[in-house]
Order: sequence, then C-alpha cells, then structure tokens
Amino acid sequence: MTHTVTYLGFIPLLPLAGALVLGLMYLSTCRGKQISERIYGVLGCAGPVLSFFMAVKVFFALMSLPAQERFLTHKAFTWFAVGDLNVSMGFLADPLSSLMLLFVTFVGSLIHIYSIGYMAGDKNYGKFFAYLNLFLGSMLILVLGDGPVVMFVGWEGVGLCSYLLISFWSEDSENVVAGNKAFIVNRIGDLGFVLGMAFLFWGIGADGFDYLSLKANAHHLTAPIGLTVCLLLFVGATGKSAQIPLYVWLPDAMAGPTPVSALIHAATMVTAGVYMVARFSFIYAQVPAAGEVVAWIGILTALLAAIFAMFQSDIKKILAYSTVSQLGYMFAGVGVAAYSAGIFHVFTHAFFKALLFLGAGSVILALHHQQNIWKMGGLQSKLPITYWTMLIGGLALAGCPPFAGFISKDEILYSALATGHVGIWAIGVLVAGMTAYYTFRMIFVVFHGSPRDQEAYDHAHESPKVMTIPLLILAAGSLFAGSANIPAIFGGHQRVSHWLAPSLVEHHPHGGLGLEILAIGASILAFVIGISIAYRKFTVKVDEPDYQGLYNFCYHKFYVDELYHWVIVAPYQFAGKAISRVLEPYVTDAPVQASGWLYRMCGLAFKVVQVGYVRIYAVYMVIGLSILSLLVSRSLNF
Amino acid sequence: MLTTYLFFGLALLAVLGALGLIIFKHPMNGAMSFVVTLISLAGLYALLSAKLIFAIQLIVYAGAIMSLIVFIIMFLNIQEKDLPLDPNRWFYVAGGIVVVAPIAGLLINISRTLPATEVTVFDDGFGSVKEVGQLLFTQWLLPFEIVSILLLVALVGAVVLAGKREVN
Amino acid sequence: MITHYMSLSVILFCLGILGVVSRRNVFIVFMSIELMLNAANLGFVAMSRLHVNMDGHVLALMVMAVAAAEAALALAVIILLHKHKGNLDTNIFSLLKG
Repeated sequence: MTHTVTYLGFIPLLPLAGALVLGLMYLSTCRGKQISERIYGVLGCAGPVLSFFMAVKVFFALMSLPAQERFLTHKAFTWFAVGDLNVSMGFLADPLSSLMLLFVTFVGSLIHIYSIGYMAGDKNYGKFFAYLNLFLGSMLILVLGDGPVVMFVGWEGVGLCSYLLISFWSEDSENVVAGNKAFIVNRIGDLGFVLGMAFLFWGIGADGFDYLSLKANAHHLTAPIGLTVCLLLFVGATGKSAQIPLYVWLPDAMAGPTPVSALIHAATMVTAGVYMVARFSFIYAQVPAAGEVVAWIGILTALLAAIFAMFQSDIKKILAYSTVSQLGYMFAGVGVAAYSAGIFHVFTHAFFKALLFLGAGSVILALHHQQNIWKMGGLQSKLPITYWTMLIGGLALAGCPPFAGFISKDEILYSALATGHVGIWAIGVLVAGMTAYYTFRMIFVVFHGSPRDQEAYDHAHESPKVMTIPLLILAAGSLFAGSANIPAIFGGHQRVSHWLAPSLVEHHPHGGLGLEILAIGASILAFVIGISIAYRKFTVKVDEPDYQGLYNFCYHKFYVDELYHWVIVAPYQFAGKAISRVLEPYVTDAPVQASGWLYRMCGLAFKVVQVGYVRIYAVYMVIGLSILSLLVSRSLNF
Repeated sequence: MLTTYLFFGLALLAVLGALGLIIFKHPMNGAMSFVVTLISLAGLYALLSAKLIFAIQLIVYAGAIMSLIVFIIMFLNIQEKDLPLDPNRWFYVAGGIVVVAPIAGLLINISRTLPATEVTVFDDGFGSVKEVGQLLFTQWLLPFEIVSILLLVALVGAVVLAGKREVN
Repeated sequence: MITHYMSLSVILFCLGILGVVSRRNVFIVFMSIELMLNAANLGFVAMSRLHVNMDGHVLALMVMAVAAAEAALALAVIILLHKHKGNLDTNIFSLLKG
C-alpha cells in the first residue's frame, strides 16, 4: 500500500537547481565581473539545508503511517517505454531511504557550511559550490530513486561529480590524473552494475522495473540468474564503494579539497554500494552464496586497508584507508544478511568519518596546507576545538563504548558470529584492534608531543567559527548517534532495526547471551590493546621512521597500484600507441588518403589538356570534327 | 568549253593563293596571295551568274577588307626578326592534313551526290541588282536592318578599342 | 559541274582550317578565317545557282557584311595586342593555362 506525495520530487531538485544557478553565476564572472563569496556561500548552502528540512518532513510523514504502509511514492514523468521495459523518473521514500536521506542531507549541509570557511579565498569558489550541490542532488536521486534505473542515474551522477571535484584544482596535473583514475575505475564497476540490471530485467523485470514490483516478483527469480545478478551488482558496488579489487581510486582521490573527501569519500558516495545491497536485500536474501562472497571480500578489504593505514604518513591517506576498511565492515555486515546492522554502521560512520576529515581539514588549513603527520605535533594547545572533536571522532572510529562506532561495529561482528561466520568475526576483531591503533597513532603524532616543525607551529591558529561549529555538531552526532540502535542487552530497543524492517528482507539471528558477551568482550579487548600499543609507541617523542624492508613494502601499499599499472594500464597504453602509430596511418587512413591521392592524380592527368593556347583548343575542335565526320562517312557508306 | 577552262583556271589560282597564304612566312606575302584568291573567287562568282556578288566581292573584300589588312600589316612594321620562330611548322601542317582529310573527304562525298547540272551563264533575270534588291527589302528586311546595326556596333567598337590610351 | 564548285569550296574551307591550326602568326590565322568565310560564300552562291533561287546571294551579302565588321574589330584587337606584347606570336597568350 503506497501513498503518493508530490513534494518528494523537490528533495533532489533543490540542490540541482542550486547547482544550475551557481553554475550560471560562476560562468557570468568569466568576463571579469566579481560576485562576492558570501552570495555563493549562502546560495550554495540554501539547497542542502532546505532539502534537509524536507527530509525531516518525509521522516515524520512516514512515522505517522502504520509500519507496513510506510511507502511514499511519486512518479514525476515517464522517461522511456520500450517493449516490456517501462521506466519513469520516480521517487520512493520508505524507511531505508528516509534514513539515508536524513543523514545525507544533514551531514551534507554541515559540510557545505564548513566549505564556506575552508574554500575562502579560492578563485573558483562559485564553481566549487555548484559542483557540490550537483553532487548532493545526484546522491539524493540515487537514494530516493524508486527503481534500479533511477538509482543508476544518481550513481553515474555522483561518479561524475566525484571526478569533477577530485580534479578541482586542475592546474596541477596530478589532481587530474587522480580524478581520471577515480572515474575510470568507477566505470569498470558500472559495467558490472549495468549487466546486473540487464540480467535482473531479463529475470523478473517484465511486470515493472521498480523496487516494489521487483520485490513482489522476487520469488520468480531462478537461482543461477539470482546469483549472477547479485554478483554483477556487487561488482558495481566494489567500484563505487572501493572494495577489492577496485579500491585503488579512493586514496588517490584525496587530491581533492578536504570537504570533498569528507562528503563524497567518507559519508555519502562510497556508501552507495552498501545502500544498493541493502535495497536488493530481497534478492541477496534468496542467494546466500552471493552474500558469502560479499562478506568475505568485505572483510578482506577491511584487513588489507587497515594494514595500509597503519603505515601511511599523509593524514588524509590514513583516513582514506580507514574509510575503505570501514566500508569493508559494512559489506561484511550486509553480506552475512545483517542488512540493518550494515546500514546502521553507514549511518554512524557518516558522522565520525566526516568529523575526522573535517578536523583534518582544519589542521591542514591551520598549518598552511601541510598534510604530512611527521611535520606536525603538539597541536593540542593551539587547536583545542579541533583536538577535542577529533578525539571524540577517533574514539568513535576505534570502537570505544559508548560512542556510536562501538555500537554499530559490534552489531556487525555479533551478527557475523551468530550466523556462524567465525572466520569473518575473528578477522573483524583483529581489524578493530588495528583500527584503534592507527587512529590513535594519527591523533598522538599530530596533537601530542612537541612540534616537529616549529615555524609552522607558531603560525597555527584555530579555524573560524563557520568551520568549528560543524565540527562540534558532528562530534555530538558521533557521541549520541549510537543511541538510536542500542541492543537489548544494554536495555535498548534496537529502534533503527525495527524502523528499517519494512524495507528489508531480514532474519535477525539469535545466538544467545553467551555469544553476545563474547562478541562485546572481544571488541572491547581489541580496542584496549590497539590504543595501548599506540600510546606506548607514539606519546614519546618519535620521528618519521626509516622506510626499509617490510615497513617499506607496507608503506607502498603492497605495490598494488604499480601492479595494476604494469599489468593493465601499460598494455592498454602500448596498444593505443601501437594503433595510433601503425594501424591508423597504414590501415585506416591509407585507403582514404589513397582515394584522395587518386583523384588528385586524375586531375593532374586531365590538367595536361588545358594548355592555355587558344590555337590548341581550336585544334581540339577540329580533331573532334574530323572524328565526327569519320563516323558519319562510315554510316553513310562512303 | 570556255566556261570549263575558265573554271579550272580560276579554281587553280584560288587554290594556289590559299596555299600561298598558309605557307608564306611573312604575313605581307600571305596577304598578297590571299588577294589573288579573292579575285579569282570573284571571277568564279561571275561564272555562276552572280553579278552583284561578283562586284561586291571585288569592292568590299578585295578592295576594302584586304586593303585594311595590308595597311595594318604595314603599320605594325613587322620586321624579319619580329616574326615568330616556327621550327615545327611542317610537322603541324602534316598533322593538320591528317586531321582535316576526313572532314574534306566527307564533305566532298556529300557534294558528289548533287545532281549533275551544267552551269550556264544567265543574261538576266538572275543574280543582278534588281533581284537581290527585291529579295533584300521584302523577305530579308529584318536581317538587313540587323546587319546595319551590326556594322554600326563594329564601327563604334573599333573606334573605342583602337583609341584606347596606354595606362602606364 | 556544280559538284566541282562545291568541291572547290570544300577544298578552300579545309585549307582555311589548316591555316588556323598550323600557323602561329596572328595575321595568318585571321586571314585563314576570312578564307573559310569566302569558301562558305562560294558554297552559298553555287547552291543558289543550282536551285535558281536568289536567297543564296542575299546570304552571301550578309556574310560579307559580317566579315567586314569582324575584320575591323579583329584588327583593332591585333593592334592592342601588339601594343601590349610587342609580339605577334599566338603562343605567348597563355593566361588560360590550367
């Protein structure tokens, strides 16, 4: 039973309209006219903030409905209808998408406000806000779409905006290369997504290609097609959400401005893959084998990325690998069919990861764009608000109770254990310890001890209020977001799981009290061990370590990027060069040019006749006349 | 009899004059032999009882046009050294003969199909001023007027062309 | 007998063509053209004698008038050409060369 509301269409439309207006304003300045940054800032934040208020309205509208009827739809217009495939630009607000909507618009608005301060003085200020609004609009289309095709529209849109924003400072060609890498790797994933959609349509798409119809027909899906669809859709997710083997773009994407990293590569875009798996829970629940694959790839990615994060020296790269690792956790959660646990971790992760990135941005800006942690130190006294908010974020990330991260991570690990995936649980606990270690390695090296670069330290000062207030709000979120889904063992009501139930096909595992205590105990133990190792190593004065042997190997991320380059990229480039040097000039261009050459030669041959002497033209006439008379003589039989 | 001899004699003169025209190097010599051709043609017209045409040929062609041409040749003061070197002349002539022969062959063959009539000279009633005048001012009035305009145009054109001053 | 006159006319005409084709001197080319016109005149008059019809004579008269006009203009052009180039070779006027 669904209800139709027309204001759903405005939620993505407002940021998109904002992007259009900002873009036009920015373009109008190309003739030298100046528009003040304040106008850009206000217009840029207006769209997201208004969308947030509408998201709250949607949430309350849903709350007022009985649980089984919480589906609000709106079909804006019919996009195309070909044969059995009838796709319209429609929007669906159900519990899952309303939850995503809430935190996407909330965190998005905060980051927009933060950007007013962070990007101040940049000459492309207006362009930044136009792109950021465009991104938010695309993300909202992705989240609110009522079918896989509309989701794919948003999917591609966020990929595009990711590319635009990563290579925002395009004067430096390395940023552009990073943007290209992100887009191309994403595209590889998108191929899988499109193939998955095609198989899905082939299987059960004939009666309507939107989520509600597909869910109703899901039992018609045969096992082989179901497995194919799940795996292909997951390939798309590995591209968008940076899992093995397509995670390589996310660390390079740190070339973009820090608000971009916070919004796109921490809180929203990269979680689209998890959202997609949760959305298709009605298929994934039918094919447990696909879930296994998803869970194992997720947890292995978590492990690999945690190893990398332990050795990085760029503050943003540490957080990037941390994001990849946490995304691995989320996929492990949805892989073992704990969809609500995975989505809840998405929810809390948005808060503390965005907080950590924005805090890192504050540090970078304070030290005049210094990103190497081995040149920082002792900033605790100079940047107090940044320090305390980052500490809260770090505790949440590391899984310290009662912060949000602990509750969501624990939920995932307990689900893994309760469904019998002991291996996944064990690796998950190990990664939790590593998470605590690298998070606090970063915090201790940056904020504690004595400054390593005295001159930069002297010039450092706290960021303006427009940047620190979002930090404070996000810190509050990191603290209290966990309270939304407190499990029964602590006396809570698991409100988020119950809220999400109508959207997902889920069976909550019951492992008994013993397993639950084991899971919680192991998590807390891992956290304590990790943070104490970090404390012992990094609170004494320690400088940048030597890069040798195994340390060097880990620092260079197992040379995976180089491997990809030599195995995949270089052969393509070689083939491209070979084609352009050999195939094109000799095989494709040669016949075309030869025909042109042939015409020119014919022309040159005919040119001989035009000598320019009129007498010779008279001779031609006489010759023609004599030939004619010969013919006439013959016919008259003379 | 007399007419036959006269015809062949005048024809021979005409052909020899034409040959002279195309063979002589100096245009003055060519013009002189061309005059010979014109006069013998006038004789042929007389043999064909074309009294007016005979007179007009002598007056206009041999008299006016050729004298104009000779005058211009003398005016331009052509010296031996001005004449273009033409080493390949005989080659061209030979080639010309080869090319022209089929045309000549065809035309002569066609003219052989004409009825073989004796050409006697009329005394009057044919070819004199009266007959030509009658035709000219009744049936051929329009061409007559147009030709007079043509002559006017030629006159004006010649004056304009020859009166042009050199620009540089 | 008339055929003889016609043959003579054809021979003179072909000699005229030969002159136009093979000589480079401007005057000779021009006079060869006049020769061709005369040959045509002879043809007209002979035919009019054959059919005892005066139209041929009138036409011959027209041809002569036209030839006179043309002669005047052609000579004026030859004078101008001589003024420009100082030479009477038809081979040097090759601006139409392709």
